[in-house]
Amino acid sequence: MNTSMQTNDILLQIRNLNKNFGGLQAISDVTMDLPAGVITTLVGPNGAGKTTLFNLITGHIVPTSGSVHWLGQPLKGIEPWRIARMGIARTFQDLRLFSQMTVEENIMTVMERNSWLWQSGRTAAEKRVNEILEETQLADKRHERAVDLAYAERKFLSLARIMASQAKLWLLDEPASGLDPRSFERFVALLRNYAARGITICIIEHNLDIVIKLSDRVAFLDQGKLLAQGSSQEILKDPHLAAIYFGDRS
Amino acid sequence: MIAYLQNIAVLFCINAILALTLNFIMGYAGIFSLAHAIFFGVGAYTTAYIALHFSDSLLLCMGGSALLTALLSMALALPALRVRGEYFVAASMGLQVIGVTIFSEWKSVTGGLGGMIGIPRPSLFGYIFNDDLAFLVLCVLILLMVIGLTALLVRGSFGRSLMAIRDSESAAQSYGKHVNAVKALSVAVSAALAGVAGTLYAFYMSFINVESFTLEFSILLMAMVIIGGTGTLFGPVVGAALLMSLPAALTYLPFLPPSELGTIQQIIYGIAMVLLMMFRPGGLIGGRSREKSA
Repeated sequence: MNTSMQTNDILLQIRNLNKNFGGLQAISDVTMDLPAGVITTLVGPNGAGKTTLFNLITGHIVPTSGSVHWLGQPLKGIEPWRIARMGIARTFQDLRLFSQMTVEENIMTVMERNSWLWQSGRTAAEKRVNEILEETQLADKRHERAVDLAYAERKFLSLARIMASQAKLWLLDEPASGLDPRSFERFVALLRNYAARGITICIIEHNLDIVIKLSDRVAFLDQGKLLAQGSSQEILKDPHLAAIYFGDRS
Repeated sequence: MIAYLQNIAVLFCINAILALTLNFIMGYAGIFSLAHAIFFGVGAYTTAYIALHFSDSLLLCMGGSALLTALLSMALALPALRVRGEYFVAASMGLQVIGVTIFSEWKSVTGGLGGMIGIPRPSLFGYIFNDDLAFLVLCVLILLMVIGLTALLVRGSFGRSLMAIRDSESAAQSYGKHVNAVKALSVAVSAALAGVAGTLYAFYMSFINVESFTLEFSILLMAMVIIGGTGTLFGPVVGAALLMSLPAALTYLPFLPPSELGTIQQIIYGIAMVLLMMFRPGGLIGGRSREKSA
């Protein structure tokens, strides 16, 4: 755990957040904070509203009511690209890589915020691109198209993009699913490294190994409601939450 | 014979410029437009109007055509910002139909179905391009400039943003790309350069009417891009060369009845498209596949 990096600064405040899709209440009165330098994991069964919460934070969908504040500034009505430039970046469960672009281009384009016609082709710091490629062990794949990568390499490319984004808050949607044990260890080490550098991370994860190894805090969601928050030990040992997680609601 | 080859070369240059500009939005930004002939037409009519009423200056006509076409392209950009894929294709087809109707009905400006005749050859710093060879050199130079500009744009950060938006709009947004601005700008650049092709066409033909800017021509341009290779720099040029040379090549086959050449040409286009989509979906230049096989 990186408790030494924890501060009392709240980067993201979520207050009484609600989202309805027709008659379905996807998020119901969720209130939580993401403190700076803390790794928070969102757990819960499928359909709990975890990805919807990410979509609400990043502006991809608009809340029915409630608020999200980033460094004290309300995010309501702000477009996703502006929210990204404010320092919130995310990955997607289905990765959404820039599939026809090379590994290097995927990273470089994330580093280039502006895309003016007269901007030169090599504005992004190549040194940083090389660092990221080394860290993710994708250096020898730099000229391959994303679509041609193996599954684990795609996962690391997804991580490489968010590393290149210079965001303060990373929202990672099931980043470790399907990784083999060696890749998994590399992945955990990378996240720990970046958390130690002060990056605030919020992860949606079903893999309880990740939850235990990485999390400073765990938030448990079910049917759109935030049922509990606490340390991974507190949450995972709660028999009531475990029963919900494994599908026993009796 | 030389005059015939010069004529084909000039028309090839004009079509290659159009294919390059369509590929700019189609291959790099994922905006599949069936209204490209309209921008070509706007450029041609603007040039014809300026040349017939004000000045035959190449720079004035080209600049005016590019500017007006870029402004009007926002009519295409607006639906492109809201819908994607097949929905946008349908929206662009609607724009194409509106454009053709305006070309044929706005008689006071476009001359209606009869079109505009007697368009003079352009002048540049006092030199008048009356000689067909000089006009061909002009067309080649402009084609090279369009290739150069396209290369500059697609190999830089703007091109990477376009490709990122094409591959995943939501991911591009999530990494700070102003998707709407990039899309609108790409459509404006593409349309402006298509307008330049319209300028060359109007000056070269000295007569234009709506027949040159129909939906069929938009489809032919799309075929040039797909056959050559979408999202490649030289694919559209190769596609334009192939589709431009095919009608000429067919006339040299003595066993084909001259009256059926048009039909045979259409059948060959169709078969080529089907075979390419089956075996080389990336086009002749684009490689065997755009997606990794399962």
